[in-house]
Amino acid sequence: MHQDKGETPTGEVSPSLQPNPATLMDLDHFTHHTALPDTWLSRKLDSLLNIIGNLMSWTWVVLMAIIIINVVMRYLFDEGRIEFEEIQWHLYSIGWLFGLSYCFVADDHVRVDLIHDRLSLRSQAWIELLGILLLLTPFLFIVLWYSVPFILYSWQVGEVSDSPGGLPYRWIIKSVLFIGFALLALATLSRLSRVCALLFLRKSPPRATVA
Amino acid sequence: MEINEILAISMFGTFILLLFTGYPVAWVLGGIAILFSAVAMLMDHWYDAFIGIDWNYVSIVIPRMWAVMTNWVLVALPMFVFMGLMLDRSGVAEDLMTNLARLFGKVRGGLAVTVTFVGLLLAASTGIIGASVVLLAVLGVPLMLREGYSKELACGTVCSTGTLGILIPPSIMLVMMGDQIGISVGDLFLGALFPGLLLAGLYVTYILGVGFLRPSAAPVSADAETVSLRVVFSVLWAVIPTAGLIIAVLGSIFFGIATPTEASGVGALGATLLALSKGRLTIQVLREVGRETTKTTAFIFALLLGATAFSLILRGLGGDELIEGALTGLPFSPTGIVICILAVTFLLGFFLDWIELTLIILPLVAPVVAALGFDLVWFTVMFAVCLQTSFLTPPVGFALFYLKGVAPEGINLGHIYRGVIPFILIQLVGLCIVFYWKGIVTWLPAAAYGP
Repeated sequence: MHQDKGETPTGEVSPSLQPNPATLMDLDHFTHHTALPDTWLSRKLDSLLNIIGNLMSWTWVVLMAIIIINVVMRYLFDEGRIEFEEIQWHLYSIGWLFGLSYCFVADDHVRVDLIHDRLSLRSQAWIELLGILLLLTPFLFIVLWYSVPFILYSWQVGEVSDSPGGLPYRWIIKSVLFIGFALLALATLSRLSRVCALLFLRKSPPRATVA
Repeated sequence: MEINEILAISMFGTFILLLFTGYPVAWVLGGIAILFSAVAMLMDHWYDAFIGIDWNYVSIVIPRMWAVMTNWVLVALPMFVFMGLMLDRSGVAEDLMTNLARLFGKVRGGLAVTVTFVGLLLAASTGIIGASVVLLAVLGVPLMLREGYSKELACGTVCSTGTLGILIPPSIMLVMMGDQIGISVGDLFLGALFPGLLLAGLYVTYILGVGFLRPSAAPVSADAETVSLRVVFSVLWAVIPTAGLIIAVLGSIFFGIATPTEASGVGALGATLLALSKGRLTIQVLREVGRETTKTTAFIFALLLGATAFSLILRGLGGDELIEGALTGLPFSPTGIVICILAVTFLLGFFLDWIELTLIILPLVAPVVAALGFDLVWFTVMFAVCLQTSFLTPPVGFALFYLKGVAPEGINLGHIYRGVIPFILIQLVGLCIVFYWKGIVTWLPAAAYGP
């Protein structure tokens, strides 16, 4: 899953500092990830979500550029632009809402793993199964269900920004909430299939790499 | 006891219990919120409990999430994460380490002091405890061990300095805290600066003290060069860009030139340019930093969304009044109540991360503390120092496990536990100092708005 975290060019490091800085950011070797078998469905969904997530990760570079442009315009031309500030939070919420599913596929959401790490793979899979069915699914359902009238209403009344010079078409950015959670639902489906494959498909032994 | 109070307490209890299953905290929060609103509706239906939660009330969670999306202050958060990750990749840490080690080479304990300084400079960058502890451990521990430092001193220094990152501004924790209790992020940054420096100063004093009293624990490097002017210049050359970046970010907030959001964007650009100047900026690095930023920001905001739902339903169950009643009903003076809150925070910090505590506990206790007449900036900084200390405390401090995960052969948990004990005592001393001299926190924010 983490093939994108390979070696990075590190340049020369003084010989007294032997440890390779390329590994610094890579917390994976001691953050435990439940090793579940892949399924046909999960491979398809995960690669789709990874493509979207990788693409959306460029949001931050764009956001940085917008902030800089805004600052420069304000100081050099003494011109504060409300739409630039609005673009900033548009971009930021797009970034993390699309990130929800991306982070889920990578299994990077925060867990309290004091006990979790010491459980067998099967017990961990049972926790995943119950967690998905009893906790995550109701939450996803409620957010998706109630965000629809929220977006529809905005579309019907043609909602625009309250501020003069603000951005129009509020329903577009409001839809991102729905899209983010819909992608998260896909990621959940993918994970559910992997958990079920481990727990109920005994014929094919898990090909998972043990952490 | 009313049915709604029983539900509020069991909601909280269920949360703590389910945390230990290891299921992601964000979904535990969100799921419990939905389950308990269903339970509350059933209670109304069967027992005429008059709690008054219905699906209409639950749907308020959507406007709440929208409020998070439109929050311009929180835009600073991913930008600071980006800045931190970029600084980590830019190779400034190694440069700082090598150069500062030359400067402090002749001093007993100089290498540990170097680690503290590097930690302090980088603390400003990440605010992600795992990342800073790992960085310092990988760079500093093997170096100190080779020079013959005691394992305990090496471990203690790395853990304590690594956790300082959540306190030293611009820390993402402070951005989140300011947003949650509705105080200015700039004030919090300025308020946390001196306590952070105070703690770092206390660490250095302790390290030098150990070097003086037990020379064998912190020997002088065998091949230390004399400090010449050339060394000083090369040190300055290495330190100035990083320090300059941090001073620019903090300074622009201090002088009211920029909002924290603007400063975060400028900081992110600065870190990128720093990486460029070191020849480390490739498209590959930019891509990876972007992806890591997405993941880090996503898990923080997943928690924020889960906590939004959780606290909405907890409020519907009357949990807020329950906490307020319990706290003000304590048989202590206002100061005693604050100490009580901080002690509980400290204990919760053993097994909860700063994000959960900031999102769930801080908004519940902050109004009570404010009503008791305390300065909220001061309280929040105390809260932050408390959290930092609890990450250092055995048996389950996060920093200790991160260090254990990357420590070289020959270091076991015993060394780490023994190593952090003096630093925990230092933390408590620091906490007491800030508690009694509130000016350490409040002076700088006040000065920033002075004439």
